Amino acid sequence: MQTSADTRGSERGKFTAPRTRFRLLRLGFLKDVSEMMNQGGSTDTITSLEPNPLEKRQVVDPSQGYTSYYTSSIDNGVLFNSTYQQDQRAEHPTRNVQDGSSVPSLASTSSSGAVIIVAISSNLINNTLSLWEHIKTQTSGGYASGGYNNQSQQTHSWNDGNYTSYASHQYPNPNYPTDPNGAYNASAATSTSLQYQQHYNKQWADYYSQTEVSCAPGTENISVTSTSNPLCPIPVTSGYPASISQPPAPYIPPWRPDSSSSELPSVQTGAVTSSNHDGYWNNGAQVQTHNVCAQPPQYQTPNPTYQSFQDQHKSASSQGPNVQYPATHQVPQSYPSSLQTVPQNVPPLDSRRVSQLQIPTNPRIASNFALGFPPTNRDSSTSSAAAKPAYVSVSLPKLNDKALSNDNADSTYKPGMFPKSLVGYVERALARCKDDTQKASCQAVLKEVITKATADGTLNTRDWDIEPLFQLPSVDVTNKDLQSSTPTSLLSKTKRSPSRRTKSRWEPMSEMKPVDKPAPVALHTGNYGGWLHSSGSDKKLSGVKLESKEGGLSGVKFSLADQRATNKSAMKPVKRQRLGDSVDAVDNGDASSDSDKEHSLTQYYSGAITLANSPEERKRRENRSKRFEKRQGNRPENNHFRPKNVGAGSLYARRASALVLSKNFDDGASRAVEDIDWDALTVRGTCQEIEKRYLRLTSAPDPATVRPEEVLEKALLMVQNSQKNYLYKCDQLKSIRQDLTVQHIRNELTVKVYETHARFAIEVGDLAEYNQCQSQLQTLYAEGIKGCHMEFSAYNLLCVILHSNNHRDLLSAMSRLSLETKKDEAVKHALAVRAAVTSGNYVLFFRLYKTAPNLNTCLMDLYVEKMRYAAVRSMSRSYRPTVPVSYIAQVLGFANGLPTAEISTEKYPYVLEECVEWLKAHGACLVADNAGEMQLDTKTSSSTLYMPEPEDAVAHGDASFGDLALGGGAVDVALAVHARPLPYIISLVFVVEEERKRNISAPVCTILC
Amino acid sequence: MAYVSMGEAHRRITDYLNRFSDAVSYQDGSSLKRLLAVSSDSPSLLSLSDALNVFQDASRLIKQFDKYSQFGEILVPLFRSLQNYRLGHLVESYQSFEKSSNAFIQEFRNWESAWALDALYVIAYEIRVLAERADRELASMGKIPEKLKGAGSFLMKVFGVLAGKGPKRVGALYVTCQLFKIYFKLGTVHLCRSVIRSIETARIFDFEEFPVRDKVTYMYYTGRLEVFNENFPAADHKLSYALTYCNPRSEANIRMILKYLIPVKLSIGILPEISLLEKYNLVEYSNVIQAMRRGDLRLLRQALQEHEDQFLRSGVYLVLEKLELQVYQRLIKKIYIIQKQKDPSKAHQIKLEVIVKALKWLEMDMDVDEVECIMSILIYKNLMKGYFAHKSKVVVLSKQDPFPKLNGKPVNS
Repeated sequence: MQTSADTRGSERGKFTAPRTRFRLLRLGFLKDVSEMMNQGGSTDTITSLEPNPLEKRQVVDPSQGYTSYYTSSIDNGVLFNSTYQQDQRAEHPTRNVQDGSSVPSLASTSSSGAVIIVAISSNLINNTLSLWEHIKTQTSGGYASGGYNNQSQQTHSWNDGNYTSYASHQYPNPNYPTDPNGAYNASAATSTSLQYQQHYNKQWADYYSQTEVSCAPGTENISVTSTSNPLCPIPVTSGYPASISQPPAPYIPPWRPDSSSSELPSVQTGAVTSSNHDGYWNNGAQVQTHNVCAQPPQYQTPNPTYQSFQDQHKSASSQGPNVQYPATHQVPQSYPSSLQTVPQNVPPLDSRRVSQLQIPTNPRIASNFALGFPPTNRDSSTSSAAAKPAYVSVSLPKLNDKALSNDNADSTYKPGMFPKSLVGYVERALARCKDDTQKASCQAVLKEVITKATADGTLNTRDWDIEPLFQLPSVDVTNKDLQSSTPTSLLSKTKRSPSRRTKSRWEPMSEMKPVDKPAPVALHTGNYGGWLHSSGSDKKLSGVKLESKEGGLSGVKFSLADQRATNKSAMKPVKRQRLGDSVDAVDNGDASSDSDKEHSLTQYYSGAITLANSPEERKRRENRSKRFEKRQGNRPENNHFRPKNVGAGSLYARRASALVLSKNFDDGASRAVEDIDWDALTVRGTCQEIEKRYLRLTSAPDPATVRPEEVLEKALLMVQNSQKNYLYKCDQLKSIRQDLTVQHIRNELTVKVYETHARFAIEVGDLAEYNQCQSQLQTLYAEGIKGCHMEFSAYNLLCVILHSNNHRDLLSAMSRLSLETKKDEAVKHALAVRAAVTSGNYVLFFRLYKTAPNLNTCLMDLYVEKMRYAAVRSMSRSYRPTVPVSYIAQVLGFANGLPTAEISTEKYPYVLEECVEWLKAHGACLVADNAGEMQLDTKTSSSTLYMPEPEDAVAHGDASFGDLALGGGAVDVALAVHARPLPYIISLVFVVEEERKRNISAPVCTILC
Repeated sequence: MAYVSMGEAHRRITDYLNRFSDAVSYQDGSSLKRLLAVSSDSPSLLSLSDALNVFQDASRLIKQFDKYSQFGEILVPLFRSLQNYRLGHLVESYQSFEKSSNAFIQEFRNWESAWALDALYVIAYEIRVLAERADRELASMGKIPEKLKGAGSFLMKVFGVLAGKGPKRVGALYVTCQLFKIYFKLGTVHLCRSVIRSIETARIFDFEEFPVRDKVTYMYYTGRLEVFNENFPAADHKLSYALTYCNPRSEANIRMILKYLIPVKLSIGILPEISLLEKYNLVEYSNVIQAMRRGDLRLLRQALQEHEDQFLRSGVYLVLEKLELQVYQRLIKKIYIIQKQKDPSKAHQIKLEVIVKALKWLEMDMDVDEVECIMSILIYKNLMKGYFAHKSKVVVLSKQDPFPKLNGKPVNS
């Protein structure tokens, strides 16, 4: 076999967790792939043979500027693979091994840029699943011991299996598929991480030779394990530097006792082998630790999923995805516990939180383990008592205590410490979360709420059952509190959140996706940073993340990254909810009283509105509160009279503050509300202030707080030129609209105000607000008031076409267009878009997308996802055998924001990358052809494509809007602090991110600005 | 207005009152309905209106006798409505008529047999027609036309009266159809759904039991609704039903049905004879059909543009626009046939550039990417069997039935 020819294979993993975006392909590496994939044809055949076509991925060591990258894929909540790669030198074998591989066609050399590609078929995964079910039903084993035992054996056997092929230096696909269960077990490793270290290479070399020796016992092991004990689909394999100076010996003892008595001999063999080959065992052990660590965030917080997960364990009920979920974790969970027993192993274990980065093992795992599995552990301890009872029983309670005491934040999550109603509350709150990001932030808010309650002493007294749930916050909102607002951290935060919002114009795909993807990287570096000899390059990669972590918000973030991955299956049934809106939302969550809210709102605004604390503002606020006092003062009076005429009383209350009607009080009684001459209430405003916050009228308007037309005009101008964020503008415009309404002003100014507001709303994708404005505008235009009628007819058309999808509405909207209107550029464009949409002509659509006048782009933005998906579906059905990804990227308008319509993927390689990401996130199957170009494997993809999240499909204005403008709290915070225009901030974010990640120079960044 | 003496007026009014009370007491629906048809402009009602305008105190006459005064709630507003109708005050006329009708419904509820169903039909019809006219008047005065909406809610009430177990239930479909007309006119077709649901699901209704004329109308409107929803098989079924049972002599109705049925049939691949279009004066479709036969994209687009307003108003524009794919199919098929004549062995491979060229000839300015996209859609929607090879830019057609006929099935979407 040849060194260059040996790289082939495919990693496949079905993407059911679209949220996890993976950054596997980097530009340079594509080329590498191409070079190495000379035998790509065979990959194809593998693909087509697979019953369940899965995603293929290749990871190649980028010998050019890439520091490192990280891949992970999630299947049904199983953390499959975590390839952590560090760039040492070109010669370092880089490996990316995917889990659950049935056909691990391994081929590798230690020479330049070797690739290992493992083909996985999902049926394997299923198999492991069922195996796990099996395990679960077996009560005898006990997860702690049994699982761990499995793991060790598995590691062993898997390696053996693989290295057998190494040793033989033949590179056929090892005949796993033909093997019965045993083979599966061997290959069922769900997660693999490979570390290659310089000095480790030697070990590899050693290892290769050693494996030949150890091979025989190893294989025996396989058979033993497979028959006696179903294996857990867990982490395996890796080259791991022996950087931790622990002798292998300490690891072995815990292992041995773990194995159930029947298997003891085989394990012994393993031990022997390992002691013979230090490097190997060292690796094995480390790898396992590594893998364990890869999962901690899942256990950080007891979310409902987790709890239910516990329940499931207890009840031993096993359902597909759920089973899988536990399956991955159990072993890792048990592992640390075993580690615990060996004190010198993990000194820092109990002392820090995950967020502290330096911890090899996450105490949360342990704590959760302890919490979640006491019965199991007891079982296991009894069952494995023969071997070494002390180990489990001693360590567990300790762990538990530590977990409880160590971590304040975590302690809030301990179930049992809290009233049941609170647990219910937390569950309810978390159940609303639609994705993991949200969940993470939700947890943060919960934490706050609970901490606050604890501080208040109301924790046990409050009735959590009736406690209103706070609005779902965005991650960033929660982060805000945790973090000092240094620019870097701010930016990094800002970037992290918008991942949800793929639709906004402000989030051209290419810019936003990276935001998501590095998360896993950060996670890893975070976890392993200390002991993984985190090299400089390492840090560089995770750059921003690490920094922000140091800022101290890692807890949230970790769970963010990982829960997204792992909770996926469990999360699915949870109905998506609209994102909560803003900081206000969070504050609402505290169920604070009005004044509290007011206060917090003021606080919130104080950043944005510099005037907020100015004397005038204060005075105004006082006035306003006086108004309320006045009203309240009246109330008792009303009540006093109420016995006589109730209607009058309430009526009076309604109007009292503005019009002192007390003398009319009695005749008011006889008047119905409809009979009141509301026109008489029309006020002439006297307020001279330009800026005014919107406050929903609860009484008739007070002329003193209403601005006359001239002032409103100035106010509009002020808003138009304001550099502040959309929230601020929206608020100001609403107050202007209110003042116009109460003064019955309907003229060109009114139209201007609504138009301005509508435009702002479109810009941020706030369809709800836009619709309000649009309907007002329609009546205003119908009254003959001049404005940008054409522009808004175009918007209206687009809105109907793209979002309501109602043929009748569309027809009536179209038939309403006059000939003259149809000649307008914007309207023409809108009509063309409509034609493209109805005919499904994606080429035309994305061409129009790039040439859209006015804000048409923004509205089209909200349809892009749908259109792309339809296009790829159609392509995968009609093209054979493949379509180049570069073509898809070009035709489907990736590279938005680039100056020219014709983009070359050569010049902007990340465009291609973005497209690849997108395709993967939608379940497409990609392969590389002989020339190394990425291709969409149409036949396979046609059955695997899916729309990742309803949210992406539904162009729901407020939802998407909420993400960025409101839900994307960090954006708000950033804006509030910096008081800069939204696009600017976001582009700033992009610039920083881009420059960090891609070394893209200024031009692109300026475009984004 | 001819001069009417006081005595003559008195005579006419008492005559009307007598006929009314007789019709009710003899349960004579057909004569009663004539007395209620305000907008029918029948000579007897016209002369009565004249008389009412002369003899201002008709309500006193009604009160004089018990046999009239028991229907006073119907008759007094009815007289006012007739009076106003005659004077052209349509809004007032409508308002009075609604009051009268409300009273009539109260009475109708008490009549156990369905003898007055005819009269109720008239009321349902009148209320709609008067409301339409009143709205026109309101609109001309610059006020908000809202009477038809009111008529709609009134008819819902009538529907409620009829939707029972008794013999009156056969009248429900007539009221439903009047409601459809109102909703279609108002553009609030979503309101149809509730009525349709009760007609189609309620056990008390047996669709076959309803009068044919109502069934045809009902099918016509529900068929149109299906056209809006682009549910072509259902639309085809309903409109075909309407066409089958429609009175062959009422050509206007047949034309109305065909106006929707033809686009529906086209979109499931069934083209009509040109003679049919000519017979029912539906020539606006002829170019569309021609374009489909020829694979002439340009002609289709022209035809659509030419009759855009008409098609938009009737609501078939989007349906016709979707025929484009079939036109493309036809075009490719033609290319295929020509290729086959030249070289049968290579006929199933069509180069993209050939298609682009063909479209150029049709003055369709489309570049390779766009045509490629169209090909992809054609294959995706199963209008063409085969695949597209991106590298070589060739459409490779299946050797077996490369252009499947729709055969009454809609294009896959």
